[in-house]
Parts: sequence; C-alpha cells; structure tokens
Amino acid sequence: MKCTEERDSRDEASSATWLAFAILTSRMKQSKDPFEAALEEQEESPPDSPVGEDELNSQTPNEAQNQTDGGQNILVDDDDDDYDDLGPTIKNPSHLSSSSTPKLHSTSVNATVAAAVTNKNKEYDDDEEEENVDVELSKFPSSADPTKMAKMQAILSQFTEDQMSRYESFRRSALQKSNMRRLLVSITGSQKISLPMTIVVCGIAKMFVGELVEKARMVMTERKESGPIRPCHIREAYRILKLEGKVPKRSVQRLFR
Amino acid sequence: MSNPSAGASSKSKLGSSQPSETSFKRKRGVFQKDLQHMMYGFGDDPNPLPETVALVEDIVVEYVTDLAHKAQDIGSRRGKLSVEDFLYLIRKDLPKLNRCTELLSMQEELKQARKAFEVDEEKLGTLE
Repeated sequence: MKCTEERDSRDEASSATWLAFAILTSRMKQSKDPFEAALEEQEESPPDSPVGEDELNSQTPNEAQNQTDGGQNILVDDDDDDYDDLGPTIKNPSHLSSSSTPKLHSTSVNATVAAAVTNKNKEYDDDEEEENVDVELSKFPSSADPTKMAKMQAILSQFTEDQMSRYESFRRSALQKSNMRRLLVSITGSQKISLPMTIVVCGIAKMFVGELVEKARMVMTERKESGPIRPCHIREAYRILKLEGKVPKRSVQRLFR
Repeated sequence: MSNPSAGASSKSKLGSSQPSETSFKRKRGVFQKDLQHMMYGFGDDPNPLPETVALVEDIVVEYVTDLAHKAQDIGSRRGKLSVEDFLYLIRKDLPKLNRCTELLSMQEELKQARKAFEVDEEKLGTLE
C-alpha cells in the first residue's frame, strides 16, 4: 500500500476526531452542549465514520468474545464494511451485523438498533452472514498505531450503554450505495457510475449530515432548547454552513422548485 | 431558503415508481431509514422527528446534486466523470478528503484480500 504518508496524517486527524467524539459523547451525559465542547477540541469535522456497507454480518455470539481485539477490529471493520456487490468472502470473525462497529460493543447493544439496522440490510447477501472466515488480521495493515488503538479501547470501555448505542449507530449507519447510485445516475444522466464513486459520495454525504446535525445541536444550545432537533434548527444550521462556504453553491439559481 | 419539504423537484409518493433513468422522479424518503440511524449517531434523538429527517434528506439530495453537477463540469474537461473530480471538489475540506482517501484505500485492500482469498479457495478446490 502506498498510502502510508496519508495514513499518518489521517491518524492524527482520526485519532483526534475519535477522541473528540468520545469526549463529546461522555459530556453528553453532563451537559446539553457537547458539541460546543467538542468544537473546542476539534474543528467541527464529524468523526470518522465508515461508509458502513452492511453486507458482512457475523453471528452475534462472536462479538462478546472479542472484547480484547476490539480496537484492532474496528479498523478491520472499516475494511470489511464495503462492497456488498463484490460479494466479500472475507469476514471479520467478530463482525457485527451491518456496517462496521467496534467489537467492544457487547450484547448490551440496543437490540432494536441492531435489528433495525439488520433489517434494512436484507437486500445484501445473507449468506455472508453465515460465512465466518477467519481473516488473518495481519493481512490488513491497521490504519492506526497500537497507541491509538489502545486509546480507543480505553475510551470505548468506559462508554455507558447510551453512549455505546449512539456510537454504534454512528459507525454502522450509512447511506445505501444502491440508492446513491440511482440518484447519481439520474443527476448525471450517465450510466457509468463506478463503485468507488458511489462509495466516495456516500461518505461525503454522511459527513455532511454529521456537520448539519452538529451545527443544529449548536444552534439548539444557543437558543437554550432541548429535545429532538426540529426543522428550524436544521435550516439555521444549513444557512450557517452556507455562510461558512461548506455547501457548494449553485452557479444558476434554481427557479422552480 | 424556501421550504424544501414543500417543493423540490417532482416527487411522487408512489412506493414503486419505475426506475426510469431518463425521467427524474424523486421518491420521498429514499434515505429515510438510514438517515434516522445516522442522525441518532451524530447527536439527534433516538427517534428524530419525521419532518426533520425529510428536511435533512432534501438537503442531502440537493447537496449531492450540486456536487455531482460541479464534478461533471470538471470532468467534462477530461472527458468523463471520475472519482478524482469529487476528490478535487472536496480538497479544501480536510476531514472529508481524508475520509474519502481512507475509504478508497480500504476498498483497494479489500479487493486485494478478496482476490487472494479466492485464489486460495481455488487451490483448495483443486486439491480435493
């Protein structure tokens, strides 16, 4: 792999983002403005999140066993979480259903979340759930050094159930590649949408959603409101993002909507 | 910004609209289920409000549309649309760029691993 340099720079960014996310969620317990706190630690960049391809599933009993290599497995999860259509035969033994999740996540996972997430992945190959090929983890160059994994481990082990379920949703959730591909085809009018392109756009869109939600939470705390996010917060967040230049501007105004 | 949930391009509530590539019929709630989990993961309520999810979906679709149009403009110079165009568009946004390069490199690794695995399987098959 030739991306070692990029990986190093990514490590700093990812470790910072992961740490910040952990701190963010841990503070969620205490205060209502975790995102403001997180803002101090990092730029508002959303935490790393896998595209979360949901083909790879493994039996749930395995997850509980692999508490120790949870940290390492997280990265392998990221490797595994792609490309349903490529019909992966490689399985992380402790792979949870649907997209990658930290293996530390024990059975205290929100069963509803897991079930809901699995249900939406029915269209992906189900036989991959049964396969449980042991992958030599040495095959996957971990995109993080052991210290970072140890840090992640330490943080994740102290998550409450609530935090863990939220983290799991964060890791597992993803926009479906098929829907994205359909959307891209209809936008560009061309049938040649490659798989990497779909994956990249799904990843970009997920991070954009993260930015929106985080900004909306910030707006809510500024207005001293609580509860679920309302459309007005999202609109305000979108407006702020536009001012910050994070949203691509249309060269031609959309006249008729 | 006008209310996207009210307008947007021709949306049909048909559950099974023909996936015609030429006419663009946007179904409601294409990403709804995924978006609910995603928004919870990013900090929203475990059950986000449906109107919020609909609004976020509209915004995301608009974002992807604009992104794809811009990428097409860039790609048309080169001839066809490629991943590089998208990467060029988000070059200023470091977290997104890093994330995308990570995704792409992981895909490569997975491909290699799968190829290697299939080769092993073939060998096993021939042995027996």
